[in-house]
Amino acid sequence: MRLGIVRGRIVLAVSVPELSGSRLLIVEPVTSENLAKRSGAGGKALVVADHLSPGEGQMIAFVEGREAANPYWPEKVPVDAYCSLIVDTPDYRPPAVPAAQAGKE
Amino acid sequence: MFLARIDGTITSTVKHSTLEGARLLIGQRIEQDGTPSGEPLIIIDEMGARRGGIVLVSTDGDILRKARGNTTPARLSVVGIVDRVSGVAQ
Repeated sequence: MRLGIVRGRIVLAVSVPELSGSRLLIVEPVTSENLAKRSGAGGKALVVADHLSPGEGQMIAFVEGREAANPYWPEKVPVDAYCSLIVDTPDYRPPAVPAAQAGKE
Repeated sequence: MFLARIDGTITSTVKHSTLEGARLLIGQRIEQDGTPSGEPLIIIDEMGARRGGIVLVSTDGDILRKARGNTTPARLSVVGIVDRVSGVAQ
């Protein structure tokens, strides 16, 4: 799963039957730099199927790939990203970048 | 499978019911030269990995389906805690 910030929603006028009635979020993935700063996201946005109804600006974790369709099992749906949870608080403390590595960036 | 450094944890009240009680780690994939790569990942941990430690992560969701049911929307899990890595720069 990756972390993302909810930026918007999508309503489909027409869809394949498997997707009718599904809620779709626009999600911007969170990079490690922005997670450390506790502000912004910075990744390339994608569309995520959802049953949890997070608000805009909330942080979620979304699963990608085959497992994203698991909640619909045994139905087969063309979903490859799914909102698994809404994040209360991330406790994120990466080690400080060593000086030698910092110089390379 | 790949190696990841554990940089934190998250808590979540609203989540898919199959993830109830799951320990959720924030991991950072690390490359052969020890540098982090990519975005932070949320990894399910049933093994008690520690912050700062290096773990072996599987991207096969089948082990999670077995543990948490067929409908679980999760893919990454800790399948080992690394003791040591040889042959690469740390």
